[in-house]
Amino acid sequence: MTATTMELGAGTTGYRPTATRLAHPWFSLNVITAFLGAAAGYGIGHWIGNYIASNYAVVQSTGQNNVAVVLALFFGVLGFIVGIGGLNYPILKMFGYQPEERAPVEDWTKYFRFSTDHKVVGKQYLVGVIGMFFIGGLFAMAIRTELTNPTTHFFAPDIYLQIVSEHGTIMMMMATSLVVGPLGNFLIPLMIGSRRMAFPRLEAISFWIFLCGLMVILTALPLGGFDTGWTGYAPLQTEAAPGMDAYLVGFGTIGTGMILNGFNQIVTIVNYRAPGMRWSRLPIFVWSMLATSFLLTLATPVLFVAGWFGVLDRTAQTAFYVNTHGGSSYLWENLFWFFGHPEVYIMAIPGFGLVGEMLPVFTRKPLFAYRVGAAGMFGVALLSFFVWQHHLFVSGINPDMRPVFMLTTELISIPTGFIYLIGMGTLWRAKIRFTVPMMFCLAMYFNFLIGGITGVYNSDVPVDVTIHGSFFVMAHFHYTIMGGLLFAFFGAVYYYTPLLTGKMLNNTLAKIHFWWMFIAFNFTFFPLFIVGFLGMPRRVFEYAPRLQVLNDWASASAYMLGMSFLVFAVNFVWSVWVDPKPAPANPWQSLGLEWQLPAYKMPWYNFERLPIILSDPYHYGEREALPVAHLQGVLALAGAGAGGGLAPVGAVGPDPGPEISPPRGEAEREDPRPE
Amino acid sequence: MSDVPQLLDREAEEEYEIESTEGGLWTGSRLFVGAVTMAWSAVAFAYFYLRAIDRSGQWDPHHLTPPPVIGTLIALCVLLGAFMLEYGRHQLRRGLHFEWLTAAWLTALFGAIAGGFQIWQLTRLPFYPGEYGYTSVFIGFAPLNVAMILGGAYWAETIAARSIRLRAEVGPDMHLGESEHAAARHLRASLAGCNFYWWFMVLASLLFWILFYVVD
Repeated sequence: MTATTMELGAGTTGYRPTATRLAHPWFSLNVITAFLGAAAGYGIGHWIGNYIASNYAVVQSTGQNNVAVVLALFFGVLGFIVGIGGLNYPILKMFGYQPEERAPVEDWTKYFRFSTDHKVVGKQYLVGVIGMFFIGGLFAMAIRTELTNPTTHFFAPDIYLQIVSEHGTIMMMMATSLVVGPLGNFLIPLMIGSRRMAFPRLEAISFWIFLCGLMVILTALPLGGFDTGWTGYAPLQTEAAPGMDAYLVGFGTIGTGMILNGFNQIVTIVNYRAPGMRWSRLPIFVWSMLATSFLLTLATPVLFVAGWFGVLDRTAQTAFYVNTHGGSSYLWENLFWFFGHPEVYIMAIPGFGLVGEMLPVFTRKPLFAYRVGAAGMFGVALLSFFVWQHHLFVSGINPDMRPVFMLTTELISIPTGFIYLIGMGTLWRAKIRFTVPMMFCLAMYFNFLIGGITGVYNSDVPVDVTIHGSFFVMAHFHYTIMGGLLFAFFGAVYYYTPLLTGKMLNNTLAKIHFWWMFIAFNFTFFPLFIVGFLGMPRRVFEYAPRLQVLNDWASASAYMLGMSFLVFAVNFVWSVWVDPKPAPANPWQSLGLEWQLPAYKMPWYNFERLPIILSDPYHYGEREALPVAHLQGVLALAGAGAGGGLAPVGAVGPDPGPEISPPRGEAEREDPRPE
Repeated sequence: MSDVPQLLDREAEEEYEIESTEGGLWTGSRLFVGAVTMAWSAVAFAYFYLRAIDRSGQWDPHHLTPPPVIGTLIALCVLLGAFMLEYGRHQLRRGLHFEWLTAAWLTALFGAIAGGFQIWQLTRLPFYPGEYGYTSVFIGFAPLNVAMILGGAYWAETIAARSIRLRAEVGPDMHLGESEHAAARHLRASLAGCNFYWWFMVLASLLFWILFYVVD
């Protein structure tokens, strides 16, 4: 099996693809060795924990050895990372070896290995987040099943709480990486004209850490679960079963992956843009990734430390969150929400980035107020650090401080409104192409409007005091995150699948999926506003019989919503593997740089030569516009023909459309070199 | 197509890549310091928050502290490590390879000693972890401090190891402080980032030294 090796920074030659022979994939490190490492690590950690703490008084009196559980999970994660090969380079680095980029083997096994190709990592993330979403979705079905009857129960109360907690934690962790992981890693280098991410090994390890975090959180169930909900409030946190250890270690693990991913994306966007890719030419999606990555990098360390304190409370018997020994349960609430509220925007901003990228394509208009949109994303990111106390309006905050945080919370609606309105401005008087991705974009705006307005409503102290902890709040954030981010994500999956796989998804099934999902989503969550307003608290499995009709309606709709994703799954499997239909090159006639190249068959280093960026990718309908980039000679592809050929300069695909004109003369051009 | 701007020539493209990597190391090190700052800020927040509320007078009723001599030695080692790396950078620019390497190894050594002292201190505490608010915060701080310091030592060690291997690969006459060789430029960028991190750690060590040992 021959592959290529690229030496970075070796001499003055820069990138040099050279041939080398790799071992057969199954004889080198892969996901099987990773699981073996995890099992070994788990056993070793558990043994060490028992050795250290088995004679502790608290362990002997309760029979619960949290030290052993935490060390087992930690060493399990470490073993997995060692087994996948994630520590090979950090160890070699101690002996002075330089980075060596190695091409992934060109078969399906590359998806089960430590790959430094950002396109492979993006696809790994895509499968990972969708898998995580389906697991979290099954827990949601269990919740709705329990709530079909106010008094007859399917689950015991503690089991119900564990299901709610698992659902919330898995979904929140999934949603933070839903776009940043798959699409951020896959698209950023292609959109900015880079050959790679800045730190390819960090990128690869961030995915495997993310996967470990998911597995750790799932281990909470056999460990007795955790009944705190996804917020993990103390003092419940300190007193909970060993499943709580899985929550804390899992959060820390996924948090580490999130920090690494965000860190890598910032460095890449700042430093690895192609010549001519000025800030003013950056695709709006990349701006959204930049803003989100700053939040990931700067907010998540606080969560990590908060979780670390929680682990110490449960293992070393510290008293961070124990009121009787000089600690405070409010400390957790503050630290958690200092991360937790920016996290909401970690989930919201990428959705707006995606629809901002798709709207101009399907309206054939330039993105309205592009700079305002980019500024709005950073405005939201900045303000999100100053609103966390609104989660504490009814749990201990000094009442005099409430108006301050009410004000900051309402202020954040201004930049959010900017971002929303650039979409509306782009849609204004547009000749809209109602493709499936566009329908998802429009649905996203519809849903987010409801979620956003109820958010402003929630931010008022009197309202929040009334509806705090009710289904109203739950419906609000499902409208913003599921109605906003998830609809944008599915729109992007339909939009980018030709780029990722070279295949088109079935349009009829896609439309069925859209309408089914859109109707079922609104049928599920809109009644929950009413249920919440009528006083039904969340995380409680018994409720007033008068609310049964609405709850049954929501449960039936939730089943329909769940089934709508099966349509997507069937469509994806059918269209990509069973009966693949090759996608035409640039099927949406996008001007984006990423669409000018057949990414699914590009080499792992993307470009043979660096592209020269000439303009931003939103000049739809402008006859004098420059093409987005000079691409001739940039990429040499074997067999790149229909469905994969390079577009000539000035063209955007097989059907460039009447609005694309040849480039202007040299004298009119801007300097293609960066500022 | 004659009016289309030409691609960068190979040489300019390579230069572009090298500058990207240099810039990436600069941005990455600053961003890393930013992330670590947020982690330290969470610890400092816990300190001030629990101190301010002093629930039931249980913040630190008996004014217990970990052994201050060991704490001071830890801070001093971090300071010496930062000074050595700064000195080593200076020597590298002057082309004094032996002096640079000695300074870099000493930085790694001081880091290892500081981390060792911090672990040793944890075995010499005059209090139980959860006795008071203060003691909890210290127990939370100390392992993070070990990780941060040892991380800095690891970084310095890898740069020193790389410079030895690089000269072995390219030739002993290579002037790492001035060479335009891509690997030498990357090494200098990494060293600048590492140096920045060590000075940041000096500031953090000083802050927490004051909080834990000086403030009553």
